[in-house]
Formats: sequence, structure tokens, C-alpha cells
Amino acid sequence: MIRKDTGTAHNGLKDWYWQRLSAVVLLVMLPLPFFLLIAVYSGAFNQFDLLDILDHFVSRLLHTLLILAIIVHAYIGLKVIFEDYVHSTLLRVPLIGSMLVVTSGFGIWWLAIIWAWGG
Amino acid sequence: MQQKVSHRTHPAPLSPRLSIYRWHIPMIASIAHRASGAVLVMFVPFYLWVLHGMTGSPEDFDQALLFLHSPLCRVTLWMAAVAFIYHFCNGIRFLTLDAGWCESKQMMRLSAYIVLLIAMLSALAFGWLLW
Repeated sequence: MIRKDTGTAHNGLKDWYWQRLSAVVLLVMLPLPFFLLIAVYSGAFNQFDLLDILDHFVSRLLHTLLILAIIVHAYIGLKVIFEDYVHSTLLRVPLIGSMLVVTSGFGIWWLAIIWAWGG
Repeated sequence: MQQKVSHRTHPAPLSPRLSIYRWHIPMIASIAHRASGAVLVMFVPFYLWVLHGMTGSPEDFDQALLFLHSPLCRVTLWMAAVAFIYHFCNGIRFLTLDAGWCESKQMMRLSAYIVLLIAMLSALAFGWLLW
């Protein structure tokens, strides 16, 4: 049996499953902010149009779902990259740990902003 | 002389070892998926920051829009857009592979070519749109 190093995946199935689940959510949702950004950039939408969309309860809900899926997807994706390429255990473990803190802190901050704007 | 490899002195390598693998198209597609994913992670705070500015006062909105049209920001948007298109298309490719479709060697190579081609075309298209 291969002995796994500390801070590497002992069971990849869970990572794989959550990565796919969040991927499907993002697949459906990400085109929305993508086109929204294009519409604003090109000048087709002004601030009122943008706020009309973002202020809506459904958009806030969708944005919440989006950020949760992005956090899960980004965290697992980066974790797997670190597990594969950072071969020093002393470097990898704090790296993954601090990444978890940063991504979750960032997610909380984003949720606060989403539910605060427009009042 | 062939050296005997002992597992005690050589612990199981953490995959993947890029220096050992032979480079081929599906592998490039896989690495590009990781690279574009890393680019997109950095774009997430940027997106939030821009959106935060745009939902502020009308002056904030104008400033954010002006900022988006600055040359440096256009390059950032271009990189993020190309990375997004690539990651999106190759993500669909990975999901179909996971579903057990198009798993043959030829199909994997063909689909990798198609995805890379779409990314290159999108790079040209976004370059044209943003300048």
C-alpha cells in the first residue's frame, strides 16, 4: 500500500464529486454575469439597468448560489493543484490551510455585499 | 546497470510529474484547464470589486466603467474572457468524459483540438471586441 503524505488527498472521490457538482452549477449560472458584464462594458446597460437586475431578490439568491459554487470549485481546484505540484509537506499544509481561510473569508465578504447593495 | 528502486528511499511520487510525461494534446488541454482555472480565481475578487463600484454612487459607476476601459484593464478582461471560454468549454469536455462519452483516444484528441481551437478563436474575437 502506498503511504500518503500529510496534506494530500486520502480519498479523491469526495473532491471529484464536489468539483463536478459545482461545475454543473457554474455551467448553468456563469453565462449570466458574463453577459451582464459585456452589456455594462459595451454601454448597452447603464447603472439603473444594472441595479434593476442586481437588486432583485432572485438575483441576490442566484448570486449567493453562484458564490457558493465558485468557492467550492476554486477551493478544490487549487487544493488539487497544490497537492500535485507542491511537494514539500511543510509548505503544502499551511498553503492549503490559509487558502481555506482566504476563500471562505472572501465568500462571507461577498455575501455581505450582495445582500447589502441597493438596500 | 539498472538500479534497484527501493520504496524506502524513493517514496511514492506525487502525481503528475510534468518532467516525465510525454507532451500530447489531451495533456496540454488538461494543463491549460488548470492554468486557466488559476487565472479565473484571480478574476473573482476583481469581478466583485468592479461590481461593488458599479452598485455604489453614480460617480462610482462612471469611475468603474472608465477603469474597465483603461488599457491595462482591457488586457485583464481579455485574459479572463479567454480563460473563461476555454475553462468553460473544456469543463464541458471533462464532464462528457466523466459521463463516459467520447472516451476513445481519437475522440479525446479531437475534442481537445476543438476546445483549443474555440479558445484561440475566442482570443481573436475578444481581442477585436476589446480594442
